[in-house]
Amino acid sequence: MTANAPSVPPAGLYVHIPFCLTRCGYCDFNTYAGLDHLAGGYVNALLREAELWTSDWSDLSFVSLFMGGGTPTTLRPETIERIIRSLRAAFPFEAGAEVTVEANPDTVDEPYLMGLLAAGVSRLSLGVQSFDPDVLAALERMHSAESARRAFAAARLAGFASVNLDVIYGAHGESLGSWERTIQEAASLGPDHISGSALTIEPATPLGRKVGAGLIPAPDPDLQADMYDVACEILGHAGYDHYEVSNWARPGSRCLHNLGYWEGRPYLGLGAGAHSHRGDRRWWNVRPPEQYMAMVSAGVRPVGGEERLTEEDHRLEQLLLGLRTAAGVPASWVDPSRIEEFVGSGLADLRDGRLALTERGLFLANEVVLAPSG
Amino acid sequence: MDQEGIRNFCIVAHIDHGKSTLADRFLELTHAVSERQMRDQYLDRMDLERERGITIKAQAVRLRHESGGVKHELNLIDTPGHVDFTYEVSRSLAACEGAILLVDAAQGIEAQTLANHHLATEAGLTIIPAVNKIDLPQADPHTVAAELAELVGCDVDEVLLVSAKSGQGVPDLLDAVIARVPPPSGDPAGSLRALIFDSTYDAYRGVIAYIRVVDGELRGRSRISLMTGKFSVESEEVGVFAPDATPVPSLSAGDVGYLVTGMKDVRRAKVGDTITLTERPARRSLPGYREPKPMVWSGLYPVEGGDYPTLRDALDKLKLSDAALVYEPESSQALGFGFRCGFLGLLHMDITRERLERESEVEVITTAPNVEFRVVRGTEVISVHNPSEMPAPGTYDYVEEPYVLATVVTPAGYLGPVMELCQQRRGSLQDLRYLSPERAEIHYLLPLAEIIFDFFDQLKSRTRGYASLDYEHWGYERSELVRVDVLLQGEPVDAFSSVVPRDKAYAYGRATTARLRELIPRQLFEVAIQAAVGNRIVARETVRAKRKDVLAKCYGGDVTRKRKLLERQKEGKRRMRRVGRVDVPQEAFIAALRVDRQPEGAKR
Repeated sequence: MTANAPSVPPAGLYVHIPFCLTRCGYCDFNTYAGLDHLAGGYVNALLREAELWTSDWSDLSFVSLFMGGGTPTTLRPETIERIIRSLRAAFPFEAGAEVTVEANPDTVDEPYLMGLLAAGVSRLSLGVQSFDPDVLAALERMHSAESARRAFAAARLAGFASVNLDVIYGAHGESLGSWERTIQEAASLGPDHISGSALTIEPATPLGRKVGAGLIPAPDPDLQADMYDVACEILGHAGYDHYEVSNWARPGSRCLHNLGYWEGRPYLGLGAGAHSHRGDRRWWNVRPPEQYMAMVSAGVRPVGGEERLTEEDHRLEQLLLGLRTAAGVPASWVDPSRIEEFVGSGLADLRDGRLALTERGLFLANEVVLAPSG
Repeated sequence: MDQEGIRNFCIVAHIDHGKSTLADRFLELTHAVSERQMRDQYLDRMDLERERGITIKAQAVRLRHESGGVKHELNLIDTPGHVDFTYEVSRSLAACEGAILLVDAAQGIEAQTLANHHLATEAGLTIIPAVNKIDLPQADPHTVAAELAELVGCDVDEVLLVSAKSGQGVPDLLDAVIARVPPPSGDPAGSLRALIFDSTYDAYRGVIAYIRVVDGELRGRSRISLMTGKFSVESEEVGVFAPDATPVPSLSAGDVGYLVTGMKDVRRAKVGDTITLTERPARRSLPGYREPKPMVWSGLYPVEGGDYPTLRDALDKLKLSDAALVYEPESSQALGFGFRCGFLGLLHMDITRERLERESEVEVITTAPNVEFRVVRGTEVISVHNPSEMPAPGTYDYVEEPYVLATVVTPAGYLGPVMELCQQRRGSLQDLRYLSPERAEIHYLLPLAEIIFDFFDQLKSRTRGYASLDYEHWGYERSELVRVDVLLQGEPVDAFSSVVPRDKAYAYGRATTARLRELIPRQLFEVAIQAAVGNRIVARETVRAKRKDVLAKCYGGDVTRKRKLLERQKEGKRRMRRVGRVDVPQEAFIAALRVDRQPEGAKR
């Protein structure tokens, strides 16, 4: 329908690698430990799935490719290269498209990372989570703080010009002081991008079950708010731009792919359990890797479910996603009397007809999202 | 049939002592219901009755039975089993000549056994004592039979031993009904007098009155008058339940059955009223008529303000089938437009709310229940149904509140905790007796307001579930009461006002504000909760401003799930009431006032 439109809408491509060495206590993504023997067949399925979508997505211009998981770095660099090459051939990519791969510190060293760079990866996202051994243990992460430092150094030595560090705050036992040291160290390493998010306890995870059983307390929202304040302050001083609730970037280093989610741009997800979005449709692939592979090899698009967004759904999504970003949303989307209240209490700023949340407001974004519409 | 062959009887029992199961056995034994039609609790027809395992409406079923070669017609009247409906029970009893007093062989005599026995004796009924569930492993039929013989004042061998579940002893019990219960003794040739002992409303046929003909005869189509209601109407049909409604040409002295009139409002056929023939009226109505009187009041408000007309229509409709339901429009600053409703008791309130929600699909907020206070000023007496209407102290002479006479039956070992509870609830001991060395019955005069919240739960928890409770209304007594207001951000919230004993006002205020602090979610600003008596603040709590309300991570593409989380949160917000700037959850309007009154440190 947009084939004749003057500007081709930019799109994102997500590739899901569901394999992990071990599963972390807080993770509720579609990931599996001990299924590595499927990897070869799974990669073939990914490339076969891409072919099933090519015709529908040839009218778009892809600006980003994101390989997430799971742990994509459980794959060899040659395999990753093969995936990137095939996908670039299958879909219309822009020349300078952002290509991100998520990495677990324990799975990468300098030669490996040089291999990734050669494979066409432009951006590396390292799952550091914390530099405090006790916090790493509480999150049930297997790597050490030391291996995270080594992995970051290796990425720079290998030549990665764009590196993100993922950190999490609010694990059981983490003090404000410990978090301050973690975020301080993260900033002083000088990555191009930092994702710092409050730990969310999902019910269907080992941590969720521990909280449910009363073995450990749920994260204290006030302590998390203090930690958030500390992150805002330290990263702000270090020159990072706070452009989304949980994301900070050096100028020019925002994650183009993730911005696509918040801006409501179309994206295609490949792989088991991957989600896609285009226009008023959202759909998602079947989750079990074996089932996914079986469907693809039968030549069937492995869709497990879909929904059509009503106007009301769409409005709520745009509000919930847009208000997460520094750009905010058109002020006309929110009830004027509530805008006055939010601006008056320092939660939001009104500029050029757009309502954008302040740093304090970002941490209370749901309150604004759920205010009656204008 | 000649009156000689008729026996009108009922079964009275404490809850769960097996009344409905025994009725089921009678239906089978007399072939009133075919095996194919038979189901458990056959006579409890309302969904609510079957779900809760209680009888709310009375039923009357005609059974035919031969005993010693003589044909008999037995009318079994299944009475409601809850203290809220004591008046309805007393009218059902008035329609009988005999009652089976049924007691669980493992539980023994309970409070309702005593209350029902008392009612049945007062109504002049022949009592047939029976011990049920004698085949239970923990049954002690002989001890219980002895207790029962002592209560009824008969010989132990006159107590029948049955198992309603297996049917053991049930034929003997039926024979005992025929042998011991006297036949009706009305005047078949006299002017018609028929007692209405219950009524229901059928959308197609209008009001259906359950009647017992005392004197005379009522034909299917005749002009009848209601002696208290003072109006006349055409009867359309009379019949009997056998067990389904079956029309008959006429009902005569001694008969029990139903009457269809096409009346569209059940309030016109009130329980206790007497029916007579317009052409040949009886001179005196049957004794015992009483206007239904609400004892417990509560505000009913639609969750969505726009549902007010639907709620009004639903109440109007419910009223057609529930003569005891009383309501008047009221408005609250906090809750908007709604109704102040009067109920016979808490069960009645619960059932009404459930029926309203079920039958009209309107979501309803129910405010904390309260009793009706009487404010006396000189010669003037003002009835107060809503605590927020209680006048300021100093503007009246005194206040009265309703009392009940409560009967508690408890194992003797728990007498201490039971008495302690009653004392805490401002009770005064009236009588203490031993049913046996192990079991005691105790009578307390208690303010009704003290038992409408959690008295029963407290009683159960302090006696490991062994004590049972029943009560009857006593009348109004003078009390030292004050109104406690609750303020949010300095503004009083009318729906939170409560009337409490003066010497408990301070503790009540503290407990209520503490409870509200738990119930009111954190908002974008600090919320002050205060309790006040008159102008004096007696307690204060603060809900701190919230600082985090955001989905920490939102990528990986699964926006659908995030949106659904927010929609759920939005739904939660929608179900809250905005009072000033503060969002208050609905449960706060009832739960806040449900204060644990145990002395501090006694629990947890």
